[in-house]
Amino acid sequence: MEPENLDLTPQPSAPAAPESFAAPVPATTAAAPEAAFAPRTDFARLTAQTEAIRTEIGKIIVGQTDLLELLLTAVLADGHVLLEGVPGVAKTLMAKLLARTLAVPFSRIQFTPDLMPSDVLGTSVFRQNKADFEFRPGPIFASVVLIDEINRAPAKTQAALFEVMEERTVTQDGTTYAMQEPFLVLATQNPIEQEGTYRLPEAQLDRFLFKLHVGYPTLAEEVQILTGHHGGQGSTNLEAVQPILSAADLAQLRQQVRQQRVEANILEYIAKLVGQTRAHKSLYLGASPRASLALLNGAKALAALRGRDFVTPEDVQFLAPSVLRHRIMLTPEREMEGGTPDEVVKQIIQSVEVPR
Amino acid sequence: MAAFSSWFRALLLLLVLAAPALAAQPDAPRRPATTRPLPPDAGPAPQQRRPNAARLQELRGQREFQYVEPATRAEQSAWSLFWARVWQTLMEWLNSRSYSHFWRWVFYALFLGAGVFVVLKLLQIDFTAMLGRSPRRAPLAYDTAAENIHEVDFASRLAEAEAAGNWRLAVRLGYLQLLKSLSDRGLINWQPDKTNHAYLAELPPAGSIRDDFREITRQFEFVWYGELALSGPLYERVRAGQRAFQTLVAGPAARRAA
Repeated sequence: MEPENLDLTPQPSAPAAPESFAAPVPATTAAAPEAAFAPRTDFARLTAQTEAIRTEIGKIIVGQTDLLELLLTAVLADGHVLLEGVPGVAKTLMAKLLARTLAVPFSRIQFTPDLMPSDVLGTSVFRQNKADFEFRPGPIFASVVLIDEINRAPAKTQAALFEVMEERTVTQDGTTYAMQEPFLVLATQNPIEQEGTYRLPEAQLDRFLFKLHVGYPTLAEEVQILTGHHGGQGSTNLEAVQPILSAADLAQLRQQVRQQRVEANILEYIAKLVGQTRAHKSLYLGASPRASLALLNGAKALAALRGRDFVTPEDVQFLAPSVLRHRIMLTPEREMEGGTPDEVVKQIIQSVEVPR
Repeated sequence: MAAFSSWFRALLLLLVLAAPALAAQPDAPRRPATTRPLPPDAGPAPQQRRPNAARLQELRGQREFQYVEPATRAEQSAWSLFWARVWQTLMEWLNSRSYSHFWRWVFYALFLGAGVFVVLKLLQIDFTAMLGRSPRRAPLAYDTAAENIHEVDFASRLAEAEAAGNWRLAVRLGYLQLLKSLSDRGLINWQPDKTNHAYLAELPPAGSIRDDFREITRQFEFVWYGELALSGPLYERVRAGQRAFQTLVAGPAARRAA
């Protein structure tokens, strides 16, 4: 079991975020009216609230800026996130902290090998006094659901999440129950090579917007963690983290994200990147059109987070590994050679011309 | 009936087991053969007959007895002569000392190399990685005719775009022209898959080139990716910035930076 009282700060696995073009930089030769090149959407509220979330999480987590940016992107893009990392790198802690900053109903499900689908979704119980069945909702009925160690449960239980993750509904005994908005699944898992884990089915993986690698912290970060812990400041007091975003706030921000501009060439770029996964010689299975949609939605959210009202190829390239790495399958030969999905995604990015 | 069956099976088993032993028994002693010498040949000596030489010669001359008809040199075609010559030369070479001492081993090595190549190809192993080369890029399933900025006639295309009032396209062409200038100066390494940020990171951190390029890139991205509608006067100001940057790149500061 991953120790949750550790204040570990994983090293960001995603590439460093590029310089933001949102804030105008004084130019010596390129003089043009700055007002014309300002975002046409007011991102002040979005920026303030996301900054507040970063600050709150930063009370406990050291560093981890890129991972947090990707998590916020997923929250704004209305997508589920799978966090993968070895035990002890604060996957669960990060997910709990993010959930805490959202002022919405939260539940946590610890996936174990003996967990049954009804333990997740809920079950109908017989009421003797009324002589009928009553549906008792399971822990999945929350706005933010933390599924800890999702790959500890067998495929039968994992399959119970198919409907709820994609369609946001649960069907039991012929009755369909809709989930409340927002509905966000944050799942953690150990690498598949670890003992006692089950590989998630492809259909399940495809339902996650991002799969984020949580690595080890850098030396400086780890020293900072140790220093804080040694000085008694290694706070794991979740009460110190204040909720920032309500459900209504989040709905409003998501509406802004949906209205982001995406130029036609960017759409073609996304389609080419995803389409290339279906023709790559090292891949047995390519990404589905759902991956294209995920990349588009993610890029729109990331652009908004960076203060832009339009998507650039930079956004797409930045998100492509997180969107594609769990949606592609390497050929056995490539796997035997020690290849990784991230390497193939990088190759694909290099093989497609950036629209300009 | 059951007793008979069991007795029968036992007998059959006995016979089967005993068969090799019976077969291996030595033959019964034979009576020694009596030998009697033949009487001496008292008859007349046999007379050797010889075929008639004239008759033999006559038969040789007949076509029916000509089993092999050696082709005369005049009857062979030039192509046959050529191949006969080739095979003769090859056989002579294969039997020579130089072949047995050197060339034979060269051929063995070539055959071995070809065999390894075929196996690697069948296994689809990219053996070029062993030579330190980067992995080859996968072929695209669609048209990848990239716009080569080194082949674009920017002056005429910019003039066309401006004449048509297509300010958005004109800003794009102006930006591509700047990238070409930076590439020509050796300040950036032009690659179609690189983003504007990648080029920005390649520029020297000190000096105004980087700051100016950042601002020009910001304007380009607003216009091109952000689909910003430009007015004529605003375009003129954007274009003026691009021209000023073009001058900066062509100047001594850029030369020092490169």
